[in-house]
Amino acid sequence: MPGAGPAAHAACFPLVGRAAGDILFRGPEGAFTAKDFLLAVHRLAAALPQSGHYLNLCQDRRHFAVAFAATVLRGQVSLLTSDRSEARLRRLAERFPGCCAVTEEAADLPLPQHRFALHSASPAPGGMDNPMIPAGQPAALVFTSGSTGEPVAHGKSWGALATRSAAAAERFGLAPAAPASIVGMVPPQHMYGFETTILLPLHAPVSVWCGPAFYKADVEQALAAVPGPRVLVTTPLQLRALLAAGIRISSEGIAPVERVISATAPLYRDLAGDVERAWGTSVCEIYGATEVGSIASRRTVAEEDWQVYPSVRLEPCLDGVQVLAPYAEPTGLNDEVAFAGTDRFSLLGRKTDIVKLAGKRASLAGLNRILNEIDGVQDGLFVAPDDLEERPTARLLAYVVAPERSSEDILAALRGRIDPVFLPRRVVRVDGLPRNELGKLPRQVLATLHDAAGRD
Amino acid sequence: MIRPESATAHETTERELARLIVDTLNLEDRPEDIRPEAPLFGEGLGLDSIDALELSLAISKAYGFELKSDEASRRVFASLRSLAAHIDTHRRK
Repeated sequence: MPGAGPAAHAACFPLVGRAAGDILFRGPEGAFTAKDFLLAVHRLAAALPQSGHYLNLCQDRRHFAVAFAATVLRGQVSLLTSDRSEARLRRLAERFPGCCAVTEEAADLPLPQHRFALHSASPAPGGMDNPMIPAGQPAALVFTSGSTGEPVAHGKSWGALATRSAAAAERFGLAPAAPASIVGMVPPQHMYGFETTILLPLHAPVSVWCGPAFYKADVEQALAAVPGPRVLVTTPLQLRALLAAGIRISSEGIAPVERVISATAPLYRDLAGDVERAWGTSVCEIYGATEVGSIASRRTVAEEDWQVYPSVRLEPCLDGVQVLAPYAEPTGLNDEVAFAGTDRFSLLGRKTDIVKLAGKRASLAGLNRILNEIDGVQDGLFVAPDDLEERPTARLLAYVVAPERSSEDILAALRGRIDPVFLPRRVVRVDGLPRNELGKLPRQVLATLHDAAGRD
Repeated sequence: MIRPESATAHETTERELARLIVDTLNLEDRPEDIRPEAPLFGEGLGLDSIDALELSLAISKAYGFELKSDEASRRVFASLRSLAAHIDTHRRK
């Protein structure tokens, strides 16, 4: 089989690790069983045009999962990007020649696309066969922003994704006796959303809501439409917004939420406690990163340390800590951690070049490089406020030395080159950046600059 | 053509909403700088998904109705003008 590693030739995992009648997805149109899913996957796999890679741009989780599984069935790789900017898609199309986007509605894209619908009644050549897929088969490429400003690809094998889903199911006590309903607020193209709302229903006894779940009203509707036990998969900023908006969730209500799972940014213990009291629920956090996936969890109100997932191991390496997991390359972490026993650790902090917003990570060095490549920019620097991850309205700002260009010009030039969440909310034009003799900008000097700009 | 009196009502909501957006999202722009027909997301004001959620909260507090994801919502958030028109249709305050 393509890409099967030497150590992985024996192990296989089924395309769908569920019984035919099990419900994988639920939405406004009703339930979608493993059987429905396999039929749709075979139909799409047969219809997809020949292509080296498929860029999965589906928004409905059911479509997304069918498109993903169809490429796995073909022995091919899905590209996942949560950055849908024109520039990112163009770059991916250049880097993966002949790449085909898979969509559910026609979009204006800089690459060929295959649009599909789940209700087309064309024949399904493979019927509903549920094949075993070699663990070492490459299944997905996910992207992070590298320090050069160029996205870095991280490969995920089928076995790594399947075993990690099983580990998550074990950690969160997901049992076949009472299949949980997941309502996820995070996009499926993001690694956290991909694992919790696409892979989990393929490998663990859960069904996932595939209707909208973004605004408070959507989430209320979704929770009311699915049977318990309910799990809400969300982020700290979304949790705060739902709580502030007075979402109707309580342990005595019509749609109690048994568990809330949060990731992408640190969840403050006070907020976790407020949510637990208001909704009568239990709030857990997942720790992970795009490169390594979800690797640890904790109950925020009760635990300081993170407990590593079953089957995952952390070990010190030359420049920090690396993650070891089945069918995955050893991969370094971007955070500094302190071990607290063999399967527990605490987080010390993020390596200083990295900033995170809306679950996306960027390297300040990479952003600075892009800023300095703009015509007319002589010098420029992105700065992150200290409370970037806590304050919903906090964004980056940029200082630029560009006598001939306006702030609007610079913003326009950045747009399309970087993910929208990292666009500076202010572009402050300055006469010069107070670099020292090494060309560095000491942090206290930056603080002075910041104060001066704030006084304008 | 829009009748003059309804155009005036929409303009009032547009101005109010521009102020609400600037205050809620802590933007540098002045409310009068937001062009009614410029996109709120991407090109134009450059808002993102975190902003959309914050803004939906502020809108429900100020106008007494809730935004929902549906076919219409992407069109609603297209510009200040479309959002103001949506608010005028659904507001309870």
